[in-house]
Amino acid sequence: MSLPEPMSRIVIVGTKTHIDEAIQALYDVKAVHLIDHTVGADEGFTIGTPRPYSSKASERLLKVRAMVKGLGITKKTETAAVPEDEIKSQISSDSVEAVEAEVNAVFDRRNDLNQRITELNANKKSLELVSRLPINLEDYSGYRSIFCVVGTIADDPADALKGMECEVFFSQDKKLGNVAAVFARVSDRDAVTNVLSGHGFAEFAVPEGYSGSAATALSTVDKEIAAAEADLAEVGKEIEGLLEKHKDFLGASEEELSIEVEKGELPLRIATSGFTFVIDAWVPTKKAGAVKTELESKVESIYVEIEEDRGRSLEGLDDVEPRFRNPPTKMNNGVIAKEFEYPTKLVDVPKYQEIDPTILIAIFFPLFFGLMVGDVGYSIPFIILGAYGLKVTHHKDWRAIATVFLFGGIWAFIFGFFFYGEFLGMHFIGHVAEGDVEYTWEYLLSHYLGLETSGLESFFSFLPGDHGVGKISADWIGFLMKLTVYIGLVHLCLGYCCSIYNKTMQHGFKHAFMEKGGWLLSFLGLTFFCYGLANYLIYAIPNEAAMNPIDLYAIIIGLVVMIIGVVMNYREEKIQAILELPGIVGNILSYTRLAAIGMSKAGMALAFNYIAIHMFYDSVEGIIGFLLCVVMMAFGHLMIWTLAILSAGLHGLRLQYVEFMAKFFEGGGTEFEPLKIKRKKTVSTTQKAKANEV
Amino acid sequence: MALDGDVGAGLVAIGAGLAVGLAGIGSGMAEKDIGAAAVGAITEDMSLFGKALMFTVLPETIVIFGLVISILCIFVM
Repeated sequence: MSLPEPMSRIVIVGTKTHIDEAIQALYDVKAVHLIDHTVGADEGFTIGTPRPYSSKASERLLKVRAMVKGLGITKKTETAAVPEDEIKSQISSDSVEAVEAEVNAVFDRRNDLNQRITELNANKKSLELVSRLPINLEDYSGYRSIFCVVGTIADDPADALKGMECEVFFSQDKKLGNVAAVFARVSDRDAVTNVLSGHGFAEFAVPEGYSGSAATALSTVDKEIAAAEADLAEVGKEIEGLLEKHKDFLGASEEELSIEVEKGELPLRIATSGFTFVIDAWVPTKKAGAVKTELESKVESIYVEIEEDRGRSLEGLDDVEPRFRNPPTKMNNGVIAKEFEYPTKLVDVPKYQEIDPTILIAIFFPLFFGLMVGDVGYSIPFIILGAYGLKVTHHKDWRAIATVFLFGGIWAFIFGFFFYGEFLGMHFIGHVAEGDVEYTWEYLLSHYLGLETSGLESFFSFLPGDHGVGKISADWIGFLMKLTVYIGLVHLCLGYCCSIYNKTMQHGFKHAFMEKGGWLLSFLGLTFFCYGLANYLIYAIPNEAAMNPIDLYAIIIGLVVMIIGVVMNYREEKIQAILELPGIVGNILSYTRLAAIGMSKAGMALAFNYIAIHMFYDSVEGIIGFLLCVVMMAFGHLMIWTLAILSAGLHGLRLQYVEFMAKFFEGGGTEFEPLKIKRKKTVSTTQKAKANEV
Repeated sequence: MALDGDVGAGLVAIGAGLAVGLAGIGSGMAEKDIGAAAVGAITEDMSLFGKALMFTVLPETIVIFGLVISILCIFVM
């Protein structure tokens, strides 16, 4: 059984004068999971204050991030890694400020140009309207006793303004809108404005600084816009140049500054008094001694005390201070099983005091997947894709999928080759009469290609049945159903045993047996009972035979054990103990999906093979029939293969989650996150860091 | 009970079809609401994916029962 790694709680005490060295040492050992200090937890201690260098670092980080965003540096931008010492010295010699000045100057120019282009475009729009009026631009202004308004309008205002002393210029255009210019006495301003607003008049300013006809001005504006846009393109190139020039520095300094800020703010998580600091932390028990030696040897005036090696029992935990109650979970799995931590974490991180189901998922999930797919033809692409995926990808989602493909594919190959004896829905051997729906490879090879296939028969003679277990043949379906139910029984029984193991670990065996033993007994009793009853109903009654005595014993033993189980459960669960019984039967029968999904895939394969071979190849003459047959086969089997990912993958996972893990898995643990620095864009002085790691 | 002839075989086939079909409708109706709620929850918090998946596929067992009955109908009767 795989349990999370045992944890020990340590206390680190030191003087504040050496806090920076201590922080550095904590990051270097990479095995310390900090316990946050809570206000008022210890008398005389308060939460620490950030280190002095962190405020400058955060200020610089802000600048760097603004530039990173402005220049368009993303996670995908490739940057060269910069050595840690180099980037540190660059940052401390005010390189961030220098780069900021350079970058901001270009950004300012870009903003100015953008603003100018916006203004010019507005002018252009106005000029386009004004150009339809027969007035020179300088004539719109410069009067003392008369005023001029220009704007868009719904209809001609000339009639309405007849009584007043004014001159109206109007241009009508249904598509572009009407435009009017009105010249009137200053004293009539209010009256004119009133009339105009009644006609839906919206004034705009005639662009200043232009003279002559509006059409000439318009061409000037066009030239100005083109010039500004050319400048903008120039600036865009400059920005690209800056991106190329500074991306390495910006990427590296962002990372370095984030690290500095993180380290600088670490005191916010620990307790400090006037002259000392105290850090509570979890470390894996096997590393506790090494951590103590390492820290005490690296940092002056520091003392590390190993407070306790935490066991798995939950008894007496109520007396413990809340922040020390739950150690973090560090899953303890081998190289292959590690890839299956992803499906476990999809549900939850296991608690420190319970079995980590990862290893069981790693065993059963690919097995179920293979049992459902069970075809050599489909398994080969799975194996290739899985192996390739594991080789190239580092993303944990894809790695998890690739792992399932690889191991599920291997199981599918094993089942397909040795058990089902199938390749793309067809058995390897077996002679089938002409016109029969079922084809075999032996038949196809000998009948259509005229090959000698007698060797095939002797080679595949080890297959169960004559030529493998038929997924959809009447002879084998009952066997497959039973087989899957038995697999389910083993799987579920394991689940119940895990639940008892968990509770034994947490509260002792007696408690565990009283709490979970009832369920195991109910399950076992129900299994025997159903076995006997099913045998009687399915075999004895239809054949009008007498009841087999073994079945009778099974029913009686089953009933007794089940009743003991129900009585035990009744103390805790009351009526639920009885109501859950059909649920247990449901759980067991749920495993028949392993056979059912295998069947559905074999059924589809059969249909496609029939269409391809019988309906196309046999019925259509010549090369066209052959091509149709190949296309149909490729399309059909590709579809089945894709569906296999969904159905076999999802149902395999479901059996783990719903039927299996629900029996014992509680989850709700916190993951072990040691203090450590992850560098991608900077290169640490590696040897030093490795040497200190414990 | 032995059903012979074409009518008997036909009735068994209809029964098998009904078993799968009706069970499918039933689990579909159950899954519809859970699925909608699950997608809502996942948009809020991606880490709920595993739990949401678990709840969504819970009623699927119903259709497996239907399938078992229909297989029993076809192959045993």
